[in-house]
Amino acid sequence: MTSVVTTSAPAACWACRAALGGSPLLCAACGKVQPAAGIDYFQVFGSVVGFERRLTIDTAALEREFHRLSRRLHPDRFARATAQEQEWSLAATALLNDAYRTLRELVQRTEYLLKLEGFEIGEEFAGKNKTAKRQPPADLLEEVFELNMQLEEMRMNRKMGESDPALHSELTAVSLRFESELAKLDNNLVEKGAAWDAGAAAGDSAGRATAAKDMAAQLDRRRYLRNLVRDVNEALSTDKES
Amino acid sequence: MAYSDKVIDHYNNPRNVGQMDKSSDEVGTGLVGAPECGDVMRLQIRVNPETQVIEEAKFKTFGCGSAIASSSLATEWVKGKTVAEALEIKNTDIVKELALPPVKIHCSVLAEDAIRAAIGDWKKKNNVAETAEVAVAAH
Ligand code: FES
Ligand SMILES: [Zn+2]
Repeated sequence: MTSVVTTSAPAACWACRAALGGSPLLCAACGKVQPAAGIDYFQVFGSVVGFERRLTIDTAALEREFHRLSRRLHPDRFARATAQEQEWSLAATALLNDAYRTLRELVQRTEYLLKLEGFEIGEEFAGKNKTAKRQPPADLLEEVFELNMQLEEMRMNRKMGESDPALHSELTAVSLRFESELAKLDNNLVEKGAAWDAGAAAGDSAGRATAAKDMAAQLDRRRYLRNLVRDVNEALSTDKES
Repeated sequence: MAYSDKVIDHYNNPRNVGQMDKSSDEVGTGLVGAPECGDVMRLQIRVNPETQVIEEAKFKTFGCGSAIASSSLATEWVKGKTVAEALEIKNTDIVKELALPPVKIHCSVLAEDAIRAAIGDWKKKNNVAETAEVAVAAH
């Protein structure tokens, strides 16, 4: 099996020289904290993800490993260690928390993996690559736009002290439909994530690339839907208060 | 986030909000979205068939203040320009005029995309070749 992780972190403990087997943040042999520089989130949880950048993750195991490492890396345990080790334990704890919060959520870990693999997605790349056009399908845009118009109408009505029950129930239906579409989208992400993992395990870089492209498109679509669901629900809740 | 005075002005007092008849041959409609944030923008132009001058422009944007300001400014800028001239408008011009911070650059990109999409739609309706656009893209 080819591992897709390119390790830039040291492979051996700085203190006892034992090979770092589990997490690169902690030596299993002597218990010393290790420098956190150059370690990515998947490496932090190497033993949980099988030392690969993979998307199908046993979140219960992830949580257990998080608690185990949290205890072992806690700055209190290094109160009497050298200043250097105290500093490392702080850095390791911060990295551990970020890694856990990112990897435990499907959308976050998918975005993180795609960024790590060099796919330009999300706000960080906003506007940096304006030649790469990623316009969503026209029908999605039309729908998002139309719904925004209806939302605006509902807000205007509210301002005038009126309420349009037909519009209200229409938007309630829309909100339900979009929530279920979001759920479908997330299922799809799980599936594509599994395809990515399979491609990675088989050393199939074309398969991985296809899965990555699909996931990036799903995540784009998800952003439009998420905004809309948020706005619709917000408008509905203030409409109800009338 | 602190918005510049110009952004605030366009936001409070947007120019040319509205819509025109999508089915008219003289009207080009661009509907675009920003995948970074999920905001959407519609920009429309009405072109004089003889002179190819954009005589009227309208927009409607559901998005952040910078996106609203960018599209408001874009409608002001394209008015009175020929189609070919309007294609010369760059998002960087908008960034400069509105003093947008780096995280808001994609909002100006959205406005440039909307201009191009509206012009593209008008060209398609009127069977105008895309040569002007190619020349611009090579800048
Ligand atoms: S934040 Fe997305 S268009 Fe401005
Ligand atoms: Zn050791």
